[in-house]
Amino acid sequence: MTPQVLAIIMAVVLLIAVILLLRSYVLPEKYAVLWLIASVAAIVLSAWPALLDTISDFFGIEQPINLLFVGAFFVILLLLMQISLELARTRDELRKVVQRLALDIEKSTEDKDD
Amino acid sequence: MRVLVAVPALNEAAVIGQVLDTLSKAHPLRDVVLVDDGSRDATASIALKAGARVVSHAINLGVGAAMGTAFKFAVQNGYDAVIQFDGDGQHRPEHIAELIAGLADADIVIGSRYAEGGKYKSSAARRGVQRFIAGVVSMYARTRLTDATSGFRIAGPRALAVFAEHYPVEWLGDTVESIVLATRQGLTVHELPVVMNERAGGTPSQSVFRATLYTGRILFILGLASIRSVPPQLKAARRQTTKEVTA
Repeated sequence: MTPQVLAIIMAVVLLIAVILLLRSYVLPEKYAVLWLIASVAAIVLSAWPALLDTISDFFGIEQPINLLFVGAFFVILLLLMQISLELARTRDELRKVVQRLALDIEKSTEDKDD
Repeated sequence: MRVLVAVPALNEAAVIGQVLDTLSKAHPLRDVVLVDDGSRDATASIALKAGARVVSHAINLGVGAAMGTAFKFAVQNGYDAVIQFDGDGQHRPEHIAELIAGLADADIVIGSRYAEGGKYKSSAARRGVQRFIAGVVSMYARTRLTDATSGFRIAGPRALAVFAEHYPVEWLGDTVESIVLATRQGLTVHELPVVMNERAGGTPSQSVFRATLYTGRILFILGLASIRSVPPQLKAARRQTTKEVTA
């Protein structure tokens, strides 16, 4: 077995995992697009490694593998940033909901006292 | 049959008073619930003063989630059917009776702008996109639908039971995905022609780029809806009913 076969298998497993997560309503559409693109790109690159050489040549990178590292690193950074932003937004929403709930509970107990 | 009219609204203070006023001539306001989806203006208090029932989201969750709340409200309060009626004045109250009558032979009836007899002015590109989407959705629904993205619709008792458990919240899921979901649950979907008013606020997307993006997203949503299994909430609800039957 060549390493290329292993790479293709791993990429396909990733794609299947993403599709199964989508199917069972665990992964929302919003995040699915990025993951689908990433897993399809992984399959394409592992099936045609020559493509990596061509792109590296274009950018003037001598070691094609470096392009892969830089590219993957950048994508992961983007995903991390997206998650950070989502987390901040979710915390903000959670705060609003808890505050609203607290005020509503206070109001409803006050109504009962009257 | 007790019918609830649900009005999802976000920052519609400028028009909501008038919308509810015209609505009240076709349907009593005590059977109208305004789902305020996190408005920052007086939308909720105006509706409350007008005599409608009001449910307010603490944060903005989108139309799909607002309708999800309305379906749960309907089940909790013993309603048999729910009509979605937009808070921006686009929908006309005189069609409400027709939608209710349409439930006689369907679980969901959609008010269509493009069906025979309906009149709606829009650009050729927009019409083309809408026609294409409707064609694809029609294949799923196994019946001819001309306006899949119309929000003016009624959900009958069987559809209400499904939607109260699960209603798509993703962008455009509330209109397009909900049809596919309902069809896969064995519900029937019909449409009838309606006339709609021009939107009071907001400009609809017109550029070719945007239209393509929009179509692409809808196709993606449809693809997703067709590979998706039964939502976990519905599975749980179904397990419960079979347990009750066997017990």
